[in-house]
Amino acid sequence: MGAAAVAGAGGLVALPVTRADGGTRDILVELTVVALLVLVAGLVSAMSVLVPVALLLVGAVYAVQLVRDDAPADAAAPAFAAGLLVVAELAYWSLDERDRVQGERGDGLRHLAYVAALGVAAGLVGAVLLAVGDAVRTRGLGIDVAGAVAAALVLLVVVLAGRARGGPGSAGR
Amino acid sequence: MSRRGSARVTGFALVAAIGVISALVARRPELAIVAAPFALLLGLGTGLAREPRLEASLDVRSSRVLEGEDVEVEVTVSSETGMERLEVVIDLPDGVGVAEGPAGVAVRLAPGDERALCYSLRPARWGVYDVGSVAFRARDRLGLVLWERRLAEPRLLRVYPVPEPVGRAFPAVELQAFAGNEVARVAGDGIEYADIRDFVPGDRVRAINWRASARRQRLVVNERHPERNEDVVLLVDSFLDLALGNRSTLDDAVRAASALATRYLDRRDRVGLVGFGGTLRWLRPGMGTTQRFRLVETLLETRVETTYASRDVNLVPARVLPPKALVVALTPLVDSRFATALEDLRARRFDLVVVEVDPAPLVPRGTRRLDALAFRLWLLEREAMRSRLERLGVAVARWGDDGSLDQALEGVRTFRRYARRARV
Repeated sequence: MGAAAVAGAGGLVALPVTRADGGTRDILVELTVVALLVLVAGLVSAMSVLVPVALLLVGAVYAVQLVRDDAPADAAAPAFAAGLLVVAELAYWSLDERDRVQGERGDGLRHLAYVAALGVAAGLVGAVLLAVGDAVRTRGLGIDVAGAVAAALVLLVVVLAGRARGGPGSAGR
Repeated sequence: MSRRGSARVTGFALVAAIGVISALVARRPELAIVAAPFALLLGLGTGLAREPRLEASLDVRSSRVLEGEDVEVEVTVSSETGMERLEVVIDLPDGVGVAEGPAGVAVRLAPGDERALCYSLRPARWGVYDVGSVAFRARDRLGLVLWERRLAEPRLLRVYPVPEPVGRAFPAVELQAFAGNEVARVAGDGIEYADIRDFVPGDRVRAINWRASARRQRLVVNERHPERNEDVVLLVDSFLDLALGNRSTLDDAVRAASALATRYLDRRDRVGLVGFGGTLRWLRPGMGTTQRFRLVETLLETRVETTYASRDVNLVPARVLPPKALVVALTPLVDSRFATALEDLRARRFDLVVVEVDPAPLVPRGTRRLDALAFRLWLLEREAMRSRLERLGVAVARWGDDGSLDQALEGVRTFRRYARRARV
């Protein structure tokens, strides 16, 4: 699992590195090497505190590429989010495996399916957020309607909460 | 069960927080999108996690085993609420291991399920171990929250040393007054023929040797040797323990003591025990099966407790060392206090035998010339100590890697036969 996590992290950073220009690419490659080394060190020495550091460095590679290239809204962000979550889960799974606890038959497959589902869900959440972000940026009629619906929903929740508090239990006092 | 967050909680929170802050600072919503799944998972995982209910019990099938024998332990777990993953780790003390497989097992419990997990434990050396500690760790569905609990019911496992085979025990010089299996030197009522003598009033008629009386024309009676028992005190040196790998001088001394105690008790002798070291332990001489268990239980408590205080045999209560007792000392002959105590015992006219658990194979010789010289000097000092004891009439049996305990004791028998003749 540790090797899969490292390979996944390597594959993930390949996206911003290949998209970057000459000067930026050198910085990204250096950041990538550091990120992968930190991840390997964390997994080998079973120091779980190094895993988020490596994840942040992988994220930093993506962030630097976005900022330096000043690209418009990146459609690959949901995929990157899903990939980062999968890498994180694989890394922590690898650390869990070091506890020398023997699982039941099929545990590995079940966990693998869970990680895959987590990746898909993260991708979907990312896609929804990207769509919402895009809608906010364009400031069209859709966003006004969404705002009105949200306000109405909040009002509805407040009214429902108020009615629940002032129910038969409190009226009898 | 106590609740705590797994390593994922810290990691995910860090990634989510720094991702969102970076998105605000860099004005890039993509970074917030990257952070969002982490934050969402964190919120869902910690918010929806409910404490599972766990019932657990531990059953140790046997509380007494021999070294190297396996003992079955069953851990039964059940849960009303169900658990996605329950890790059961049996927490074993040093000296006990799991015979096959790992000490930790992870199971999945459906609501109302009950599972029995069997472990086969194998103690490597004698002693008393508490095997009643089991750690449980349950995880929520997302692996973010952990609930931990420890089952700590003291379950003592007594591991008896495997006795070394001892064919023949050596008798004491002087026997006691009680009936036993050893033929005494003195004349009296017994089975073994000793001599004939003239009849005196008071002699039993059945003791008259009629053939000898007819030849001598006067009444003569048979004299016989009575069968008596002996008092044996096992003196175990617990000042220090030299160990290398699986071998240790204290382990071997306890095994030898156990074997000798069993052998002497089988002969209806009274056997006592003195653990002479940092802490003084003793058991008054006694006989029978009860005494055997008492002895083994006392031996199991033997351990090295370091002390720099002087120790001599005056500390041993007089009733533990009865007169005419055979004292068998089991020692690596390394601590000078024990050697002094042996000389002191001999000076008090105790019949003394030393079984030396040879520590030389356990001591590294060193690679440098000076180390090799020091090792040789140490061996010479040991030889001198051995000679000093032998000059005092103490038989010293060297028990090392190259022979069995029985072979070592054969040397004691030979020495004592020779020493007795020399004294006469």
